[in-house]
Amino acid sequence: MHPAGSAAGTPRQPSKRRIPVSHLGMADPHQLFDDTSSAQSQGYGAQRGPSGLGYPTASASPQAAFLADPVSNMAMAYGSSLAAQGKELVDKNIDRFIPVTKLKYYFAVDTLYVGKKLGLLFFPYLHQDWEVQYQQDTPVAPRFDVNAPDLYIPAMAFITYVLVAGLALGTQDRFSPDLLGLQASSALAWLTLEVLAILLSLYLVTVNTDLTTIDLVAFLGYKYVGMIGGILMGLLFGKIGYYLVLGWCCMSIFVFMIRTLRLKILAEAAAEGVPVRGARNQLRMYLTMAVAAAQPLLMYWLTFHLVR
Amino acid sequence: MIMEEVEDPITKMIQPQQPYTGQIFQPTQTFTPTTPQPFYGNSFEDEPPLLEELGINFDHIWQKTLTVLHPLKVADGSIMNETDLAGPMVFCLAFGATLLLAGKIQFGYVYGISAIGCLGMFCLLNLMSMTGVSFGCVASVLGYCLLPMILLSSFAVIFSLQGMVGIILTAGIIGWCSFSASKIFISALAMEGQQLLVAYPCALLYGVFALISVF
Repeated sequence: MHPAGSAAGTPRQPSKRRIPVSHLGMADPHQLFDDTSSAQSQGYGAQRGPSGLGYPTASASPQAAFLADPVSNMAMAYGSSLAAQGKELVDKNIDRFIPVTKLKYYFAVDTLYVGKKLGLLFFPYLHQDWEVQYQQDTPVAPRFDVNAPDLYIPAMAFITYVLVAGLALGTQDRFSPDLLGLQASSALAWLTLEVLAILLSLYLVTVNTDLTTIDLVAFLGYKYVGMIGGILMGLLFGKIGYYLVLGWCCMSIFVFMIRTLRLKILAEAAAEGVPVRGARNQLRMYLTMAVAAAQPLLMYWLTFHLVR
Repeated sequence: MIMEEVEDPITKMIQPQQPYTGQIFQPTQTFTPTTPQPFYGNSFEDEPPLLEELGINFDHIWQKTLTVLHPLKVADGSIMNETDLAGPMVFCLAFGATLLLAGKIQFGYVYGISAIGCLGMFCLLNLMSMTGVSFGCVASVLGYCLLPMILLSSFAVIFSLQGMVGIILTAGIIGWCSFSASKIFISALAMEGQQLLVAYPCALLYGVFALISVF
């Protein structure tokens, strides 16, 4: 098949031969090969337009008119290829700034895990085995082991905390949307400060742990669950309810943190239950206690102004 | 003129499927940006219908709406394959309109919250599911499940929602919206055992919408 319009002039020659003389010199709507060179068809079409409907070649013109200009076609194709390239670039490089695959591990949770973990956060006293199970050098996903840290609960707890704080402020008529943003950013700032302080002290004490930064963020995020419980009880039952529930949650998170961090920060010997004396180990013990004690303090600090 | 019907079969055979770009190498062509009227006038019957060109398919929109409105009906995972933002747009505008009827001019909040919420859900679902999800799909599902919220806000036009009945109704509607949204997400992304986990952030998002309509 003759490539349509390979040279604009030639396709018209055969059709011209078949058409009576009166059509010489004008682009013929019945040309043998559809000429999509838009300027020509547009120019000629304008002349033919008023003369009537139903030219068979006119069916080529919506396509020609729709993509009005081949230059803009090329521009569109170029633009979409640029966009695809940009997306590829972002996808390749996002892993450098936000370790997406590592984060996916922390979100591999299911409803059962979340239920059990929330139970642990409120009542850690009966749980016996706090070790994370390993599977060929990598810790198993949170789905399969209730002791593994996850980021779903801290993230949801943080957002819920901000919304509940807004609710609490709203019931006291102190609400305005920018206060929500203020609450969110102040809580985030405290969290960042905490993570940096603990990382610094871990570095100073030169402890050899496999506690990654994300793990730390996860552990420090668990206190928001207790804070939400405290605020909600404070909203429903006033200050008494708030103090009662907050006290309970502070105790629980203290015990939870001690039992979890003990396995991560203290020496292996101590983890197995044998008390090891030594300056180094004492320092680690103090560090664990300090981290665990900071939790209730922060829980109180971030919630007391919300309950009146 | 007798030549109109001469080469019909042949010209019909040669319908160009892709645009021809050889045109630009011909220096003598002057591109006259003529008004398209004559052409559309010529070929009006041959154009695809406007809705098809725009990609709005009323039948699909209706099907998806029905899926949302029947919370107990099992969702088909493939319905969300085409991301269709026309339906959600309509629902958002309807929500804003019912808020307007109640005297609250808060299109800005609706827009901002839905944007942030969609972004948050997009990040969360990408991290939680095995297969990824596109932003358009998330926005589409969340927009469709906003429909019961429109019922709530239109109810708020007539009755105040700040009593016990209002609270129960609000809680019920939030539950309905988030249940439908999580049901569709679960079936579209094949996540097992995570329906409540997906429903919770949806409930937070719709809770904020409900806050706007109640207060």
